[in-house]
Amino acid sequence: MATATLQPYRAYSPKPFTKDERGQVTILFGGLHWRAERVLQAVLENLGYRAQVLPVATKEDLLRGREVADIGQCCPTSFTTGNLVNFLRSEAERIGKEEVVRKYVYFTAGSCGACRFGQYHQSYELALRNTGMEAFRMFLMAQNQLDQGAAIGDGLEINLPFTLGAAWAVLCTDVLQNLEYQVRPYEVIPGQTDQVVKESVEYLCEVFRNRPLRGKKWGSLLWHLTTGYFTKALREVHRKFAAVEVDRLRAKPIVKITGEFYLQTVEGDPNHNIHRWLESEGAEIYPAAIAVWLDYLMRLAIQDIEEYVGIDRRARLKVAALKTLQRVYRWQYDRLRHALGGQPPALPDQYELRRLAAPYFHHRLSGGEGDMLVGKALWAYHHKKAHMTCELSPYSCMPNTMSIGAMAGVVGKYPDLLYAPLEIKGDAEVHALSRCQMILTEAKKRAQKEYEEVLERTGLTAERVRGYLDAHPEMKKATYRVRRDGVVGTAANLVLDVARRGGGR
Amino acid sequence: MPRWFARTPSGDPKSRSHLRVGIPRLLNVWSTHQFWWGFLTALGIEGEAIVFSSDTSEDQNRQFGKGRGTVDCCYPVKCGAGHYGELVFGQKRKIDIFFSPMIYTLPSFLRGHVAETLSCPRVMAGPENIKAGFIKEKDVFAENGIRYVSPLVSLGEPLIVPKQLYETLKDVLPGLTLEETRRAVHEGYQTLQDFNERLRAKGREVLEACAREDKPCLLVLARPYHMDPGIGHEIEVDLQVYGYPILWVQYFPVDPDLLGWMFGEDIRAGIVKSPFDISDVWPSSYSSNTNEILWGAKVAARVPWIACVIRLSSYECGMDQPTYTPIQQIVERSGTLFFSFQDLDSTKPAGSVKIRVETIAHYLEKYSTEIIEKKKASMPPGCPLLRDP
Ligand code: SF4
Ligand code: SF4
Repeated sequence: MATATLQPYRAYSPKPFTKDERGQVTILFGGLHWRAERVLQAVLENLGYRAQVLPVATKEDLLRGREVADIGQCCPTSFTTGNLVNFLRSEAERIGKEEVVRKYVYFTAGSCGACRFGQYHQSYELALRNTGMEAFRMFLMAQNQLDQGAAIGDGLEINLPFTLGAAWAVLCTDVLQNLEYQVRPYEVIPGQTDQVVKESVEYLCEVFRNRPLRGKKWGSLLWHLTTGYFTKALREVHRKFAAVEVDRLRAKPIVKITGEFYLQTVEGDPNHNIHRWLESEGAEIYPAAIAVWLDYLMRLAIQDIEEYVGIDRRARLKVAALKTLQRVYRWQYDRLRHALGGQPPALPDQYELRRLAAPYFHHRLSGGEGDMLVGKALWAYHHKKAHMTCELSPYSCMPNTMSIGAMAGVVGKYPDLLYAPLEIKGDAEVHALSRCQMILTEAKKRAQKEYEEVLERTGLTAERVRGYLDAHPEMKKATYRVRRDGVVGTAANLVLDVARRGGGR
Repeated sequence: MPRWFARTPSGDPKSRSHLRVGIPRLLNVWSTHQFWWGFLTALGIEGEAIVFSSDTSEDQNRQFGKGRGTVDCCYPVKCGAGHYGELVFGQKRKIDIFFSPMIYTLPSFLRGHVAETLSCPRVMAGPENIKAGFIKEKDVFAENGIRYVSPLVSLGEPLIVPKQLYETLKDVLPGLTLEETRRAVHEGYQTLQDFNERLRAKGREVLEACAREDKPCLLVLARPYHMDPGIGHEIEVDLQVYGYPILWVQYFPVDPDLLGWMFGEDIRAGIVKSPFDISDVWPSSYSSNTNEILWGAKVAARVPWIACVIRLSSYECGMDQPTYTPIQQIVERSGTLFFSFQDLDSTKPAGSVKIRVETIAHYLEKYSTEIIEKKKASMPPGCPLLRDP
C-alpha cells in the first residue's frame, strides 16, 4: 500500500480557445438530431468559425464510454463521451495526437442542474485523461449562463448573433422534423420524403450560411424578430414537400416520443433507432421538439423567480419580462410553423403541462425534464394528440426514474392511457423494443377501431373516401393540412375532413 | 409591525397540540431533522406527537412497503415505501398529518462558496415517487384519514422558506399565519444550527485528542442518509470496534483557525478563494451532498491524523458515480488510506465487509504512524489542533 504524497489532484482546466485560432481550429459538437446539427454548423460557418458535427453515436461509442469513465454512468453520458473519444482516437491515428489537440476543440451544453448533466465534465475529463489527451480542449457551456468568456477564451463569442442563430436553427429544423414525421408513414413512393428532407436541410444550411448579420446586439435581435427571411425559406421547403404524394387512409397509431433530452432527440443507436423502428412497425411519430425544451427552460427560470414574489421587490417585474420573452418565443415558433402550412402543431402550453402534472409531480422538481414527462403524457392523452406515449428513459438516470415512478399514480387514475416507459441501456435492444411492441399492438388496435368508428359514424366507406380524394388531388399532397377534430389518428381525421367537405355524398 | 401584535398568534396553537405528525426518516431528513423538529414544535405541535419512522430495515420494507415500489432505483429512495407504510399502517396511535418535505436545496455550510446546494434529483423528487405507490390503486392516505403534506422547500434559501411552508400548511394547521410560519422557520434554523454546532464541537474534541496523542482517526465520506443503519450498514461502527474514532464530513469542525491552517496557503496562492471553495477539484459544484463529500476529501488530504477515509456509496447512485476517481485521487495523493464501499444495497454484505474491515484495521495498525508523520511534514506549522485548549 502506497503512502507516498504526490502532487495534489486538480480538476481539468483547458487552455482557452482564442480568437486568433479561429482560422485553424475546428469546433466539434453534436448530441442533437442530424437536421439541427447540420444547420447549426451552418450558423457557426456564417459567423466565421470552422465547425464539424461529430458522427452519430454508435454502440462502439457506448462501449468505449464505459471503458474510459467511471462505472455506473447513465447511458447518454457513456454514448457522448465514447463518441468524442472514438472520434479523437481515429483522428489521432490519421494526423497524430498533437495535431488533434491543436486542430479541434469540443463544445457541449452543460447544465445548472444537479443530475449528471451538470457533471458531464467529469466523465469527459476522465475519458481524456485515460486516453492520454488531457491537453485536448473541451468546454461546457452552462445553459443559463451565456457569458462565460473568461474560462472559455474569446475563440467562440457567445453573443446575440450566435445565440439567435442557434435558436432559429433549432426552431426551423424542429418544424421541418415534425412535418417529415407526419408525411413519411403515408408516402406513396418509398424514400421520397427522405429525399425531400435531405434537400430541404441542405437548402436551410445555405440560408443560414448566408444569414445577414445585423450587428451584435439590438439590431440583430430586431432583425430576427421581424424578418421574413426564415419564413420565406420555410415556404420554399413547404413547396418541396408538395411534390410528395401521400395515402393518409392507412390507419396508424400516433406515438408521442418523450423522455430524457438526449435520448428523445438523437436518432440512432443511442435510442435503438426508435423513431425508424416505430415507423417500420406501422406507427406515426409525434417527435419531441427541442423547442419545447427551450420553452421549458424559460419556465424554469420564471418559476425560480416566482418564489421571490412578495419577498424581492423586483421579482414581479422580472417574471413579467421573462413571460413576455416566452410569448415572443412562442410567437416566433408559430410564424415558422405557419410557413410550413401550419402543419406542425403549436408548442404545448408550459403552464398547462405544469397544471396537468401538478397532482403527481411538483413543478419545481428539476433535473432531466422535470414535471414535463408527466405533463406531456397527460397532455397527449387529454388533447387526443397521440394513441400512446413512449418514454425513453436512460438506464440509471436519476430524474427520469422519479417521473416514471410518479407515472404509476397517473396510470392508476387513467388506466386507458397507453404509456410505454422504455429503459434504454444502449445494448439491451431486444428487451426494450419488445416491451414497446406490446403497447404498440394495443395502440394499433385503437387506431384501427377509431378509424372504423369514424367511417361508421359518417356513413362513409374507405372506397368512397378514396374516390373523393382522387377527385381532389390537392388532398393527396403531403402539404394538405388535415383538420384534427376530436379523434387521434390521421386516417380517422381525414375521413372526418372528407365528410365535412360533403365528400362521398 | 408592533412587537406585541406580531407575537400574537392568529390561531389557537392549542388546537394543534392534539395533532400527530409523521415524518419519514428518509434521504435528507437525515441532515435536516432538527430543523423540522424546531419548526413544528414552534408551531405548537407537541414533541411527542412528532413521529419519525424507524431506521431502514428489510423487515420494515417487507412488512409495510411490499408491492408499493414504483420503480427500480437506488436503495435510499426505494426503501421509502417501507417508511411510508410504517407511518400509515404501523402506528399504535394514528398520525393526522403525513409530512414528507421535498427538499430542493440544502442549508449547506458550503453555500455561497459553491455554484449551488441542490439536492440530488432523486432526493428532491423521492416523495412524489414513493407517494405514487400509495395512491395508484386508491388513496391510502385519505382512506386512513391522514392528510398528506409534501411541501417543496428550498432550505438553502431561507428567505423563501416561510412562504413555501405556509402555502402548504395553511389549510392543515388551524389558524396558521405567514408571520407565525416565519418565526417557526427561524426557530427551525436555530435548532438545526445549535445541533450542528454541538456535533462539530465534538468533532473538534476528537481531532484535538488525536493530535495530542498522535493517534489516527477515520473520516467517513458519504451522504447523510448513510448514517441510517439500514443504508450504510454501520460499516464505520465495525471499524470503531477497533478503537479508531470516526468522524463524518457533515459534522467536521469549521472553526476559522482550523480552516485557515488547512487552506491558508491555497488561498494565498490563488488556487481557491476561500476555505470552502472546491473549484480546484470540482468545478460543477451544484449538488450539495456531493460538494460536501468533495470538500471532505480535501480536508482528509490535509489533516494528518485522518489516516484513512471510508467512502460509502449506494448501488446505482448516479450522483456518486462521477466522483469516484476525483475523491480517491484527492485522498490517495496525500498519502491517506482510502477504502471505498460502493454498491451498498438492502442487505449488508456481512462477509465481505468483515474481511475488508479487518484489512483496513491491519493497514491502519501498520501504516498510520508513518502516514501521520508524512502528512504532518507536508503541512504548515502551527496546527491549531495542537494548541492548548
Ligand atoms: S437526465 Fe438522466 S440521463 Fe440525462 S444526464 Fe441526467 S442522469 Fe444522465
Ligand atoms: S444521491 Fe445517489 S443514493 Fe442518494 S438519492 Fe441520489 S442517486 Fe440515490
